[in-house]
This record gives sequence, C-alpha cells and structure tokens, in this order.
Amino acid sequence: MVSKIGLIVNPIAGMGGKVGLKGTDGVVEKAIKLGAKPIASQKTVEMLKEFLTNDSKNDDLQWFTSKGDMGGRELKNAGIKEIEIIYEPSGKNTTYEDTKKACKKFLELDIDLLVFCGGDGTARDIFEIVDKKIPILGIPSGVKMHSAVFGINVSATAKMLHEFTEGTLTIGDADIMDLDEDRYRRGEWNIRLFGVAKGIVEPTYIQVGKTCFESVSDDVIKDELTEHIVDEIEQNNNFLYLFGSGGTIDYIATKMNIKNTLLGIDAVHKKKLIGKDLNEEKILKLLKKYPTVKVILSPIGAQGFILGRGNLQLSPAVIKKIGVDNIIVISTPSKLMHTPVIRVDTGDKKLDQMFAEMEFMIVVIGYRLSRVVKIQTNNF
Amino acid sequence: MNRNPTAFLKEEYDELVKNDFDWKLRILETGSTPHSVVDGKEVIMLCSNNYLNLSNHPRLVQGAIDAAKKYGAGSGSVRAIAGTLDIHMEVERRLAKFKRTESSLIYQTGFAANAGLIPQLVGKGDVIISDELNHGSIIDWVRLTKADRAVFKHKDMGELEKVLIDADKKYNKILIITDGVFSMDGDIAPMDNIVELANEYGAMTYADDAHGEGVIGPDGRGIGAHFGIEGKIDVEMGTFSKAFGVVGGLIAGSQDLVNYAYNKSRTWLLSGSHPPAVAGAQIAAIDVLETEPEHVRNLWDNTKYFKKELESMGFDTGNSDTPITPVIVGESSKAKELSNRLYAEGVFALPIVFPMVARDKARIRTMMNAGLTKEDLNVALEKFEKLGKKLVII
Repeated sequence: MVSKIGLIVNPIAGMGGKVGLKGTDGVVEKAIKLGAKPIASQKTVEMLKEFLTNDSKNDDLQWFTSKGDMGGRELKNAGIKEIEIIYEPSGKNTTYEDTKKACKKFLELDIDLLVFCGGDGTARDIFEIVDKKIPILGIPSGVKMHSAVFGINVSATAKMLHEFTEGTLTIGDADIMDLDEDRYRRGEWNIRLFGVAKGIVEPTYIQVGKTCFESVSDDVIKDELTEHIVDEIEQNNNFLYLFGSGGTIDYIATKMNIKNTLLGIDAVHKKKLIGKDLNEEKILKLLKKYPTVKVILSPIGAQGFILGRGNLQLSPAVIKKIGVDNIIVISTPSKLMHTPVIRVDTGDKKLDQMFAEMEFMIVVIGYRLSRVVKIQTNNF
Repeated sequence: MNRNPTAFLKEEYDELVKNDFDWKLRILETGSTPHSVVDGKEVIMLCSNNYLNLSNHPRLVQGAIDAAKKYGAGSGSVRAIAGTLDIHMEVERRLAKFKRTESSLIYQTGFAANAGLIPQLVGKGDVIISDELNHGSIIDWVRLTKADRAVFKHKDMGELEKVLIDADKKYNKILIITDGVFSMDGDIAPMDNIVELANEYGAMTYADDAHGEGVIGPDGRGIGAHFGIEGKIDVEMGTFSKAFGVVGGLIAGSQDLVNYAYNKSRTWLLSGSHPPAVAGAQIAAIDVLETEPEHVRNLWDNTKYFKKELESMGFDTGNSDTPITPVIVGESSKAKELSNRLYAEGVFALPIVFPMVARDKARIRTMMNAGLTKEDLNVALEKFEKLGKKLVII
C-alpha cells in the first residue's frame, strides 16, 4: 500500500528550452535575460490538482517536500494541507545541491515514491542520491526528457500517480539519460545512458483463468529473456556475443554470472566474459578474431533508441562488420509500451538508411516470444 | 517438513474473492433460452453463445433422444479403442459436407481441439505466428509448444508479412494462427488475406472459428465460407457448443489433416467419445442449418437492429462485424455497475473489464440470440438507454 510520497520541484526546470538553450543548468540568468519564465511550479500544481480529482484514497497519503518553490508552495496551491516539510533551502535561488540534499532526507524517511518536476538534469541529480532505493516519477518540465521516468504530459503523469497509488501500476527499471558532457565540450550533441533507476511501469498480464489475469513483474519477464538468451548462446556455441548497455541486459548478464558493465559494451564467448567495457577499437579487434558475432541490444531511454544513445562504442564500422541481421533486440513488454518504435541514429547516413529500409525489427519480448516493432531513424 | 499441503487452496481462492476475480456462478433454472430464469430472476438473455437458439430446438432434442434410445447413454470407450460409433462417423461425414472440406474430426470440446492439435503441428525449429488478440484457448497451447512464437498487431497484414519474411529465413514450419471471430470485439480476421500471405511464404493457416461457426458465411458455414475460401484454410477449427447449440469441438480440412490429427492429438486419443445423444443432436443441428435458413437470418436481423439502435442512442459499439456487440463504457467500475443494474432490470449481459480489454475500454459484451423478438430487443434497448443516461455513458 502506497502511503508516503515525496515531491521535489526544480523551479528553474525548462526555462532554457523556450529561449533556445539546450538546458537550464548554469544558464538560468541568461535564460531570464532572454525572456524565460518559470514553468515548473505551474505544471506541478496542474498535475497535483488532476491527481486529486482522480484519487479517492488521498486521505491515506502522506506528502513530504521542501519549503517554498521546491514543492511546499505547489502542494498548498493544489489544496493539499497535510504536508511535512523535510528540507529548507538556504538561499533564495535553489540549485542542484538543494535537490540532492532534499533527496538525502527522503532516503531517511523511507518514502514509497518520489515525484519530481524537471528534466533529465533533475532526474540525474535525484538518481545520484536515491539510486534504486526509491522509485521516481517525473512531471515533464525540462528542456531534455530522454529518461524513462517521465509521464508523457502533465495529465498522463497524474494518471500514473493515481494508478500507482491504487496498486495497478508497479515498479520497474527506468533508464536515466543525460548529456555526454565530454562530447558536448567537443561540439557534439549526444545523450548517454547515465544509470538505471526505479520507475513506474505497467505490469505484464498473463491470462491464468477465463477472465482472470495475473500481473507479472518485470523481473519474471527478464528471467524469461535470460532463458531465451542462454538458449540462443548454447545453440550458437562459436559465436561471440556483444552485450549492450542498460538494465535489461545487465539483469541477464548478472543471472548468467557474467560480471558485465551496466553502461558499457561487454564481450561474451561460450557464456564467459572475455572483454569488459570495450571501446570501438577493442571491439573491432575482437571482430577480427571472431568471424561470427551477434550483438544483444535493448531500447535505451524513453525514446527507444537501440543505437546512437548510450552505446557509441557500437560505431557504424562495428555494426557494418557485425551485420544488421546479427542484432538481437530484447525488451520487456512494459518498456515497449513506452517505446512503440525502435529508434536508430548511428551517425552514418548509409547505415541509417539500411535500417530505414528494414522498416521493422523483430524484438524478443519473452522466452521464444517476439513481436514486430517499427524502426525509426533520424535521417529517414 | 511440517506443512499443510492443501492450505493454498483456500488461500488462493480467498485472494481471488478479495480482488473480485472469482467466478460467481449464475444458475439457470430454465434451459439457455431467449428468456431465461437466472438466479431466480427472469431475464432477457444477452450473454449466451446459443446464437441461433438451437439448444432447445425440437429437432435437436429429438435427435438426442433418438440416439440415446438407439445407442444408450454412453459410448463405452475412447474413440481410438472401442468408442467410435457409426453415429460419430456420420457427424464427421455430414460436417465435412456442410463445411465443404474434404474431411472433419470431432473433439470433445473446442478447447480439447486446440489443446490436442496445436502442439502437434509445430515443434522445435518451427514458429507460430499469432494475432495479439487471440483467445485464451489458443494462447495456452501456443505457449506449451516447443516452437518459437511471434505476435503480430491485431489484424495488421503489414506486420504479419514482416514476421513471415523473417520467419521464412529462420524456421522449418510456419503456422499462422488466428481467431476467426474475435470474442471481445466481435470483428472478423481477414482470412482471405492471411491465406494469400500464407501461400506466398509457405505457411500453414489455423482459424479458431468458435464464434463464427453457424454465424458467419452463407448458411452459417463459418469463416471459410464467409470469404469464399472453403477448403483453403489448412485447419478450420470450430465448435458445436455455441451457435450449433450442443457441445463439442471440431476441425475441418483435408483428409491428411484429419488422419494426422486423430493419430497425434492426445486430448482426442485419451478422452471418452461423445455420448450418442450428443452426436444425435449434432447431426440434427447440421440438418437444421441446412434446411431452416431463418435462424441465421433472424440472428443477423436482430444484430443489425440492436447495433443500429444502440449507436443511435450514442453508445460506442466498437468495430464489431458480428452478433457480438460490445457496449464500451470506459472504466471497469462503470461496466460492472451497468451490468448489475441491467440484471436488476431484467437484462442479462456481463461486463468485460481490464485487463481483458484496455483500461479505458471496459464494456458490456452483448451476444445476440436469433430467438429474441423485436419487442424483447426494444425492452433491452430501453434499459440500456435509461441506465446509459443515468451513468452518464451517453
């Protein structure tokens, strides 16, 4: 039973976007000069009001937040009176440090869910502190929202919160994405996988009676996917397998007792790890040694990228050498519900065109179970 | 170890009750008739599968009596040993003629037909391609095969072809399996297109036509006849338990299929054959369908009238093409409430709620009966309109 909910509002979230900046962190004054106005507060109040119209069990909920424009004001404006203030920012203008300090308090309180209003930057700041210890749900208000913890809009977020408190939605993995700052400084715009948090997901339902369904957790589905991958590897004993990044593949590798990396690319041969956190050069070297290779990928982030976000090591040269037919895409059904298309952005026009011409990918969604998913590339 | 070995029975049942997932059995004190007495209350029946109102047809009742008198109450054995009576063979001969296929085989139930046959058609190294909205009795047996499974979007021939292109490269045998009439929405699988694609990629086709048998196609001859492709679907699976008004599953197709099926289907081989009365009623049902076209005609007249009136009142009836007409009301709680209130007003129609259907697509699933009169339908429609307005559905 959900009873304790935390709220964090990043008051400056999203201000950069309206005035053409690629974020708000560190440039808030510039954004204000360019005419940007705060939007996070209003969005939070809207979400809360919509939630209250849906939620019949509001009396059971306890709200925890920070003082002022980090949540306290928004809860009051939405009409929620019973609030516990757990953090008070020291200055007038709050920063990411305040977000992190408030998160530390939430950890002490053992809350059931942390709702925040912001973008990828806020999600990353929160994740750095709460990790997988508290599930998080984002009210979309940032400039960048590639992480899989946001509702599609304010209304959808209110509905998700309602269904979570009612027990119809459950907790599952959610990728946290952020800007790859090293590349950004070199003039490249690239979003990378930062980590895997706990978010709110739709459970998978399996029919167990005539009209009776059992909801199945993401871990059960990931166990099925593990069995599938183990079968696959056993049937192709001589193949080298490259394990992609992200929570789903990390789970499978862990179940197979492979000490992989969550964010990197690892190489597995005969179910043994033979290369860890490989860069492009090391992968190409391995491809020379092993003539038959398959790569296992899972959609990353809210937009469903399998290539081009969070795995640039799998460069066009690597993918061309492996062959697009040797890509195995796996996903839990709940993740596919959020990412109904598979996106590819290799940075190589010809390779992207090859994917575009395929039009679809077969995505493994359970043990020996697959379904067709459309491919979308950036250029086509 | 000190354990209570049967404690789970009560625990799990209590859990079902707590979540309102348990089946509350409704008791009919009449037969399944257009006006039935359900739990002591007379109601207009809008949720039985007795589409043609044949279950009480005098010729079916007489067929059952005559067969019981001639052969006795039971058949004495499984079909494969000493339980094949000439009347069983007669049903299969008559059914193949009715379906215009080379041969047919009767199973104990439709569920037993799927359970016995699907796992025998494919195995390791093969693939089953399945519509995402296929009925549970298909899904269970698809899950239990050793074949890989690929799901395509409901009735999406583009996706089906994409899966076939991929499957063509990877697998030995390919089986495309679909409901003929989909039981939640009442729409019909595009079987002509499916057969065409199957022929192009060397795939088998299997249509579970439980809700189409006796209902769609000329004279109610089912999905093959509906599309004019009789004998071209590799397995036309159906049932005597719904529109035919009796009980039993069936497959219709080539003689090769039937020879294979009865030698390999364990449900068929290991269950006692139908009692003679069942076989007698099955033959009579085919007789009625062949000689009394008014039942199918009435069913469709009623369906068209009921659907049109519901739509004119402002109800959302989805995309149904058949006598299954969903009345989509939105939230699950609303569908349950509407069903309860309809019953209180003398109309028996059950709700279908999440996760059977999408969260915002909970509905009352109505199933038409050829024996209902225009007056009956007007009474039911009046209740739908009154309650629809009260519950702010229309």
